[in-house]
Amino acid sequence: MASSAPFQFAGDSESEDDSFNPAPADLSDDENDATTDRATAKSDRRASSPTADNELNDDDEDDERPSKSASKPSRDDEEEEENADEEEEDGDDGKNGDDEEDEEEEEEEDEDEDDEDVHRHRRKRRKDHRAAFFDIEAEVEDEDEAEDEEKDGEEIEDFIDNAHPDDIAESGHLDDDRRHRELDRRRELEASMDAEKQAEILRARYGKRAPARGYGEMAVVPKRLLLPSVDDPGIWAVRCKEGKERDVVFSIMRRIEERAGTKDEVPITAAFERGGPNSVMKGYIYVEARRQNDIMIALDGVLDVYPRTKMILVELKDMPDLLRVTKTPNLEPGAWVRLKKPAKHAGDLAQVLDVTENGLEARVRFIPRLDYGVRDETSTAAAAGKRKRPGMPGPRPPQRLFSEVEARKRNPRQLQGNPQTNTWTYMGEDFENGFQVKDIKIQQLEVKNVNPTLEEVTKFASGSEDGTENLDLKALAASLKDGSTNVTYVPGDVIEVYQGEQRGVVGKAINVQNDIVTLRVTEGELAGQTIEVPNKGLRKRFKAGDHVKVIGGSRFRDEVGMVVKIVDDRITLLTDQTNTEITVFSKDLREASDIGGQGSLGQYSLLDLVQLDPTTVGCIVKVDRESMVVLDQNGDTRQVMPSQIANKLPKRKTAVAADRNGSEIRLDDVVREYGGQQRQGKIIHIHRSFIFLHSHATTENAGVFVTRAGNVTTIAAKGGRSTNPNSGPDLSTMNPALKRNPAANNNAMQPPKTFGRDRALGQTISIRKGGYKGLMGIVKDTTDTHARVELHGKNKIVTVPKADLIFKDKVTGKTIDIYSRSGRGGFGAPGSGGYGDRPGSRTPMGANGGERTPAWGAPKSIARTPAWGRGETSGSRTPAWGDGSRTVNPYDGSRTAYGDGNRTAYGGATSYGGGSRTPAWSSSAKTPAHDGFGHGSKTPAYGAGAGSIGSTDPWGSKTPAYGASAPTPGASGPSDSWGYTPGPSGGGSSSSHHHPYDAPTPGGAGFGAPTPAPLNAPTPGGAYSAPTPAAISAPTPGAWQGGWGSAADAAPTPAVGAPTPGASGGGYYGAPTPAAYGGAPETPAASGEIRYADDD
Amino acid sequence: MFFLHNLERRVTLHPSYFGRNMHELVTTKLVKDVEGTCAGDYYIIAIMDTFDVSEGRILPGSGLAEFTVGYRAVVWRPFKGEVIDAIVDTVNPHGFFAQAGPLRLFVSSHLMPDEIRYDASATPAQFTNDADIVIEHGTHVRVKIIGLRTEVGEMWAIGSINGDFLGCLQP
Repeated sequence: MASSAPFQFAGDSESEDDSFNPAPADLSDDENDATTDRATAKSDRRASSPTADNELNDDDEDDERPSKSASKPSRDDEEEEENADEEEEDGDDGKNGDDEEDEEEEEEEDEDEDDEDVHRHRRKRRKDHRAAFFDIEAEVEDEDEAEDEEKDGEEIEDFIDNAHPDDIAESGHLDDDRRHRELDRRRELEASMDAEKQAEILRARYGKRAPARGYGEMAVVPKRLLLPSVDDPGIWAVRCKEGKERDVVFSIMRRIEERAGTKDEVPITAAFERGGPNSVMKGYIYVEARRQNDIMIALDGVLDVYPRTKMILVELKDMPDLLRVTKTPNLEPGAWVRLKKPAKHAGDLAQVLDVTENGLEARVRFIPRLDYGVRDETSTAAAAGKRKRPGMPGPRPPQRLFSEVEARKRNPRQLQGNPQTNTWTYMGEDFENGFQVKDIKIQQLEVKNVNPTLEEVTKFASGSEDGTENLDLKALAASLKDGSTNVTYVPGDVIEVYQGEQRGVVGKAINVQNDIVTLRVTEGELAGQTIEVPNKGLRKRFKAGDHVKVIGGSRFRDEVGMVVKIVDDRITLLTDQTNTEITVFSKDLREASDIGGQGSLGQYSLLDLVQLDPTTVGCIVKVDRESMVVLDQNGDTRQVMPSQIANKLPKRKTAVAADRNGSEIRLDDVVREYGGQQRQGKIIHIHRSFIFLHSHATTENAGVFVTRAGNVTTIAAKGGRSTNPNSGPDLSTMNPALKRNPAANNNAMQPPKTFGRDRALGQTISIRKGGYKGLMGIVKDTTDTHARVELHGKNKIVTVPKADLIFKDKVTGKTIDIYSRSGRGGFGAPGSGGYGDRPGSRTPMGANGGERTPAWGAPKSIARTPAWGRGETSGSRTPAWGDGSRTVNPYDGSRTAYGDGNRTAYGGATSYGGGSRTPAWSSSAKTPAHDGFGHGSKTPAYGAGAGSIGSTDPWGSKTPAYGASAPTPGASGPSDSWGYTPGPSGGGSSSSHHHPYDAPTPGGAGFGAPTPAPLNAPTPGGAYSAPTPAAISAPTPGAWQGGWGSAADAAPTPAVGAPTPGASGGGYYGAPTPAAYGGAPETPAASGEIRYADDD
Repeated sequence: MFFLHNLERRVTLHPSYFGRNMHELVTTKLVKDVEGTCAGDYYIIAIMDTFDVSEGRILPGSGLAEFTVGYRAVVWRPFKGEVIDAIVDTVNPHGFFAQAGPLRLFVSSHLMPDEIRYDASATPAQFTNDADIVIEHGTHVRVKIIGLRTEVGEMWAIGSINGDFLGCLQP
């Protein structure tokens, strides 16, 4: 609204006030005289003191006071009310004093006119009385409306101030004519006084009261006093050019300035316009003047206004409405609007880029609907000559961003532009970055209730140059906000009143009916009370840390998060799903239940694996209201609708992949990328060779990233496997101890590795599986698992898994077991790799040497060792055999170690107290005691394992029992001289309680040492049984004690050793053994030496 | 805050373990299953003892035995308003994540004193007030919990270092 009441007309307006204010006073018939008198007096006075600016105001007051007091004694009800009002006005008066002074300064200039006015005034007033009824009605009617104008500004306040003196005068006049006359006299007297003198008097009279006036500010101005009456100038609506309203008013103002003080002053009191794009009053300006003719004069020659056309006199009751302030929705750049006008684009969403200065047009951008002339051609061909009907010719083309290529293809001549800035002009339209840009009248835009959908908005967002999402939340929220002011409150919401009388009250909604919310106040003085407040001034209240859900129309709808910051009604929250911060209006929030809300759209939820197309899968990393973002296997993210998803892939809990080291990885394992960014994450999906990982370190894509399985290394395995063997048995599955075939279940139970030449080499075999099933051949080469077989039938070498081979005797063709011990000096089953690396086990070996030794021959010449006699059904496995091979044969050493390893499997990883166990094993195996166990190899092994690690193992409970087997070597002693060997080493095993790793080495060393001895000494000597043990037992303890110095260890060994020294006789063993020991214990090199010595 | 809490849990045991030391095994299994887990709004830190192992009941169908075990555990429940010490885990422009034992918490940049700002140019990125306070990966901070979220098997908190004696702990 542009009210242009020029200052020059203030005088007029004052007179207007004069006429205005008496209105309520028409109760009195005599009023005229008084007013007239007063008005005359006033003008006289002014004439007499044209420069007494400051006093003027006070002067008025001065006038009224006495009259007021005079009226007091006999007032009727109405007056009383008025008076009350007027007193309040006094307050206002004080407040606005300064402003008025300025204005009144100018009033003086118009004194002449005043006189005129007053006369006219009188005439009108008389009429007033006759039409008293109408006035009263008008007042009553307008009472409410007037309130709106309460704060309208100085001008109006001015009205009031100037108004009341008259009112009071009149009210005084009502009851007593005499008093009036008295007053008039006084006024005349005062008016005749010098202005300065007057001021002095006034100051003396009212000066002290000044501060008290401040209270008046709070008072309500009686609106009806402000309303126009028939005495006031009329307002005419004058046609003008649409959109030029403001310009016209400005030019009128200019004219008034120009002509001020000249003889042809512009005779109007005010001019204003209520134009604007959506106004019904556009195309008019409103001019206030006494006579229609004045307007003609005033507007004569002003551009764009047509006073000669019919002017419309605004009715009295409509006048207040003319000045009613309506909030025009002001468009701001970035706001969303809908197009109404180009029919082709009706309803399309557009974004305001700029608003022209006059506020009439806006530059908007929207997605063009171009067909690049496709239809033009056809239509021109079809309907040549026929004028195209305006409006919608056929279906409109779909919205598509402008394509330079297509435009060039179809209509190259119409296209011009700049590829650098990506701005084009095509067919007279402008295009920027694919969007059409156009200036459109605001009337042709739908500004309210735009409600852009997410989909529409994203089209705009994705069109930005750098691809970043440049959604302006503020603008979006603003356009959403004005549409849906109906914030919904539900019982239970915590609500704060931020407007109105109850401002500051906080309570919990207990009932909501239409616009009225019933609150139970929870804080402050009113706590506990129930109040009802209108919906309008309410907002929801949250505290930092509250868990909230977005419910409103923002694009974050359904996000759930915790409040981190609150500014007015804008709340920042950290979302649960993505750990990002978003800002929304509190009206769009609601307290969330503790269970997180969003994260699913239909059947798809966050972090699900979905099939996008037959070759592509993706992991959902963000779920929106209507769409979701998917990270596909190539690491690209794309936004998809649920309908674009082929199906959801169920989570395969058992999925296994191999990392770059070949270790298996499963879901929930923590792995790290090898190379690249070295990101680390938990596996959430395994799909073929791709694994989707989730990490907390980043919020990008909800922390999800994808990589190839072969590109990660395991950090920690979690899923379904126990990483720590010491954590105890898995009590929810079958007890491993009770399983039939422990070896099948436990890796540690793998059979020992064979050393040296694979015995399968050169064997005749037949293949029992696969394509070559039934064929025979000769093994040419082997690996751990496979054999290359030269087939008899074809001249061809094929590779076959060893497990599929049946070994045949070359001669007889009978099936044989080449790994059986009888086959070759008692070997265990072929082992899996790894064990062979242990230096300890190798030390004693000297593989070849061992074979050569007579001792090795033992299996074949049973007669040699007494032990052989004890051979049971399977000669190869008898302890006796074990003796022979073990002591002398490196294979033994190795085997025992492994045997231990195997059998101590229950003990877990520590089973490699190998060396220590070795003797244990051997002892029991060899000894008669062993027989008692029935299970040849197993039982002792078990015992040994127990002995070595039993102290910590829960399963060790059994070990002591087996530990009892330790003495058995002793028992075996008599039967077999070799029995002593275990003895000392048994000691070693017991010592291994403390040092599982220390223990084995001495054990190995123990073997290392004796080996040469038995080889050289006993066998040739023939005094087989006697010297050998001696040789073995003697050095071992020595070495033991020396090397490890453990008394506990030492104790048993000498005991065992005791018998031997005598037997050993030849001290020459003493020398080599320690030496061997010294070098051997832990270093493979040292043991190597020994072995070579043997070989030689 | 830490509490001693009496709890109860049903433990199932595979039939192959039935035997004399069954109760021990049940206890072992209980410890294995329960210790270090989040039970709604608290964490079970350690099991002190089990005081009541019921008679086992064979579950029809599976043959597993079910025991109801009463036990006493040390639990930790973080509260809104509680002040705890944590170690900074990751730092990003919006704030930093920190770990207080099993609890992961986030301190938004809005919830830091005004003078602390994000410095992306530092390596590693940090929050700093250009003086004595530097919050980066591994920094010990004292944080006040202002919001807690509990989910199944997980808890999650928002903290503030805006307050006296909160923030960086000097080593």
